[in-house]
Amino acid sequence: MFAQTIALFKYLMLGILSRRLLLLTLVLAVLAMLVGGFFSELAIIDSNQIVVALVADFLRYALGLFALLVITTSVSQDYEFRQFERLLTMPLARWQYVAAQVLVIASLCLWLVLPVLLVISLYSDWLVGLYWASALWLEIFLLGLLGMLTIISLEKIPLAVCFSMATYLLARLSGLISQMLEESVRLSDGSLTSRFVDLIFSAILYLLPDLDSFANNNVFFGNVDLLQSLSVQFYSTVIYALFLIAVCLVDFYRKEFSL
Amino acid sequence: MRRAARSITQLPWPLLWGFALMLFCQLLFHYSSQAQLEASYQPLTNPLQASTYRGISMGSDQLLGYLLAIRLQLHDNQMGRHFSYSRIDYDRLVDWLEQISEINPRSEYPMLLASRVYSQTHDKARLRLILSFIERTFDHNPQLHWRRLAEASVLAKHRLGDLKLALRIAEKLALQPASVVMPNWARDIHFLLLADMNEFESAIAIIQALIQSGSISDPDEKRFLESKLLDFQQKLFESQQSGKNQL
Repeated sequence: MFAQTIALFKYLMLGILSRRLLLLTLVLAVLAMLVGGFFSELAIIDSNQIVVALVADFLRYALGLFALLVITTSVSQDYEFRQFERLLTMPLARWQYVAAQVLVIASLCLWLVLPVLLVISLYSDWLVGLYWASALWLEIFLLGLLGMLTIISLEKIPLAVCFSMATYLLARLSGLISQMLEESVRLSDGSLTSRFVDLIFSAILYLLPDLDSFANNNVFFGNVDLLQSLSVQFYSTVIYALFLIAVCLVDFYRKEFSL
Repeated sequence: MRRAARSITQLPWPLLWGFALMLFCQLLFHYSSQAQLEASYQPLTNPLQASTYRGISMGSDQLLGYLLAIRLQLHDNQMGRHFSYSRIDYDRLVDWLEQISEINPRSEYPMLLASRVYSQTHDKARLRLILSFIERTFDHNPQLHWRRLAEASVLAKHRLGDLKLALRIAEKLALQPASVVMPNWARDIHFLLLADMNEFESAIAIIQALIQSGSISDPDEKRFLESKLLDFQQKLFESQQSGKNQL
């Protein structure tokens, strides 16, 4: 059973890994360094810290979007080329496909964060580089799982990418949304409509991971316990990852595939 | 060998008129583009609240604080041209500096911009705004900002010519508890300013208290204090003598 899952994982991974992927990752790393170099010329003090934080954040969003595109493209091709129908004729359970995809996402994220480890260690302490690479791996992994869930559900790349990015950004902007909700409660007339809207947004925020679930950029400016920050993020990622996989399985098992 | 040139009056008139016309057009075009550039200056907008910026930053609040500080620093460069600081609305500028300090309280950047960049204005009212900002922000973290407050005292004395303000700032710095670690020269500004204001008795009292407290362990600093003590005592004696002679 596990051998089948691993074989499927290898097959799916081969479809993703390419020279183009390596080249694009390197181009992103070089671009991040160029952007960082520009800002280091502008900053009067603390230029090193500003550059490393900027490069790290640039890579976070660029690689996050990149991973999302790769994963959604891979699954959408399985839909397009009727791979699911073929796979289901084999002695394979549906959960094995999801498990193989989870392994693919984990490996892809590992592949993507390796240059990040190198670049951040180059600009900063290797320990901080290790923290950022690990934290970024957890973050992109979570985003990748979200991408897998949306592409399995929505089947179209643009829809899946937009929905995943919107959810990701909504989670990252949870602080601002909470603040806006607090303000709206203060300013609202207490009507049923405003209370209902407030309830809806609060419920959405309750489902989304908060900022502790993502890599903490403030580590580049000191005074952050790396281990504690990483362990909080790890537990949060595990919980959300299991939740996303569960939703993914429910959705995948509900799908009808006809030969 | 130098080639001989014809007199300008010998040139064809249409050519001279054409030249004059083109020169006029060029001057007119330059004037209008200058005026357009002057009018194109984009003033500072009002900053948002620090809490809003923190929300927008998506967790990278310290980085955003630095980026906002750099954006503010580059405000006087627009469309490839440097605009004078006199065009900047200093009330808004101080508001920006305050918001950036609140977003990133552990950064020296906004205080550095205030004390080294925006203090270069020749307008005394604007300089007072900057010094007031430095004084206020210093209270939030004296350990981080003592150097900027020392600079503010020097600015108040030399650029503003307001010795009372300089003395007040220096006193604030000198009265910081020993837990705020700073070099002795920063605390010494206080009695040096007192001496500048001919308040020798107060300056002498401060130096004597410093020496007697035993808090000065550095022999160079001790020597400096003793020499200043002698100097001020001498000056006090001379001023008293001249006072008596005038009576």
